[in-house]
Amino acid sequence: MRYWLQRLGAALALLLAVSMLTFGAMNLLGDPLFNILGPAASDTSTEEGRQIIADAKAEYNLDEPLPVRYVKWGSAFVTGDFGVQFSVDGQPPVADLIKERLPRTLMLLIMAQLIAVTLAIPWALWSASRADSVVDKMSTATTFLFIALPNFALAVLIKYVLSIKFEIFPLIFNAADPFWTRVWQMVMPALTLGLPAAAVYQRLLRTDLITTLQEDFILTARAKGVSRRNVLFKHALRPSLFSFITIFGITTGALIGGALVVEQVFIIPGLGSAIVEAILREDFPVVLAIVMLVTAAFVVINVIVDLVYSLIDPRVRAS
Amino acid sequence: MSDGVGVGPVGVEMAAGMEASAGGAVVGLSQDETTKRTLGIGFWISITWITVIVLAAALAPWLPLKDPDSNFIAAGERPPYSPNGTHWFGTDQDARDLFSRTIWGARISLTVGFVAIACGMVFGGLLGMIAGYFRGWWDRVISFVFVVFLSFPALVLAILITALLERSLRTISITLGILSIAPVGRVARATTISFADREFVLAARTLGASHRRIMIKELLPNVLIPMGALALLGMAVAVVAEGGLAFLGLSVEKGSTWGKMILTGAGSRDLQKAPWIAFAPIIVLFLTVLSLNFAGDRLRSYFDVRETAL
Repeated sequence: MRYWLQRLGAALALLLAVSMLTFGAMNLLGDPLFNILGPAASDTSTEEGRQIIADAKAEYNLDEPLPVRYVKWGSAFVTGDFGVQFSVDGQPPVADLIKERLPRTLMLLIMAQLIAVTLAIPWALWSASRADSVVDKMSTATTFLFIALPNFALAVLIKYVLSIKFEIFPLIFNAADPFWTRVWQMVMPALTLGLPAAAVYQRLLRTDLITTLQEDFILTARAKGVSRRNVLFKHALRPSLFSFITIFGITTGALIGGALVVEQVFIIPGLGSAIVEAILREDFPVVLAIVMLVTAAFVVINVIVDLVYSLIDPRVRAS
Repeated sequence: MSDGVGVGPVGVEMAAGMEASAGGAVVGLSQDETTKRTLGIGFWISITWITVIVLAAALAPWLPLKDPDSNFIAAGERPPYSPNGTHWFGTDQDARDLFSRTIWGARISLTVGFVAIACGMVFGGLLGMIAGYFRGWWDRVISFVFVVFLSFPALVLAILITALLERSLRTISITLGILSIAPVGRVARATTISFADREFVLAARTLGASHRRIMIKELLPNVLIPMGALALLGMAVAVVAEGGLAFLGLSVEKGSTWGKMILTGAGSRDLQKAPWIAFAPIIVLFLTVLSLNFAGDRLRSYFDVRETAL
């Protein structure tokens, strides 16, 4: 219990630190006034112009000192009021924008992880059961290639092969299409994120499986007449899943970063493209909301990893 | 043979890795296994490629290359031209020579990668060693800063800084440098901790050596070995990060970089008609990143360093 309270405290401190860092960096380096007012933002020649600027500053709290602005933003943020966009009309509100964009990014991430896990587990079992054979070495070399290939390069490659050479998948993502059509359109971006993740999982699982397969209980099971297949699936896989769960958490974090680029290449209007557009427009509330969301997701994933860990490994629970 | 470990040593290695990293593991290995540990041919191929590309990049102004910004428009034909005798990698839509642009692009891409990881090594290494040597509050504060930096996608921070500042070579390099502090620092910290209580450090302390002397003379040489392997991996990450930024339209504004070149050819129409525009830089980038990764990986297992220790 004490442990989980400490975890909670650390998570809150982390969110606070990240929000301060982002808020501080944006407010010190950027000037959002231009995006709110357009060219009028630099028009200080007339009394009227100066008044417009002063009004806008007051409306968006830009005339107040940085800490006050931070507290105002923060206290509204925790109640779920993410503010309005820093644009000429400020519409739609940030919360609505996120509600519209988030499902697409989630779909991309879920599909990518599904592809990665469903590929990696059988692949690892297959290679671990023929450890150090020629095919195993070739598969290890393949994982190395996938990990070294940058995601944007893989995206271009996948687009070229699957969409241009063999016209299997459509090039365009259309948010208005029915669900299954969108799933189909999302396969290429999901593959771009999923293949390297699969390679990471495969390498780790394979090493773990090989270690597990040398344990005495595996020998005992084999001696009692359990078939090779059953030993692999029922006895070896579970203890090998521990580090897999940790790496799953870490990879999810990495995939969120990768989604930024992949969404850009495949032109998917998700959170990734939303934050890129928002940063370029110096649309602070949108950037902050997305950064906080991503960080929170990151923290939650890590806590879940810990929880699952203590569920499947009683030794962790005891300590 | 690629892993260099047989059936037996896996468990030994794991156990050794848990207790101590770097030098600690070597003690546990028998004579037979020590002799088996070689860097391998792949390592030297990787190093050769890296050397070639670094030399080509460094010497680009003096090499007999075509001007990377000239338009070599041939009469009667519209660019892009496919690879041929004059243009080895072909040309892009503006009839600029891709071979020459790739070499010139290497200058910026590799500079970004090198400066970034150098920043990470110096500051991350310093902070990590301070945290790992003094422990206590130093460790808590520094580790927390590392966690903050590691807890949101690095690319988001990179976009933030590059979008708000001007996009010069210096800004991009320093931004990626700041981002590499935390990952490098964590390894430096873990390695320092694993050495801080060893006998030779204790001996130095008993002899009255100052903290500074212990850190520089005793700990630094040991921390540098795993960091060297990490530097190669980190450089690969930084080179890729530059490419990622380029795809978001946020890379170095002036001159060609590998990322920007790939982006030039990544449109569907160009991929269909002139795939070489994207694939020439992709192949060079891929080989470079692969070599850096592979060489770093081999070095790491050669010195038997475990990031996960602690």
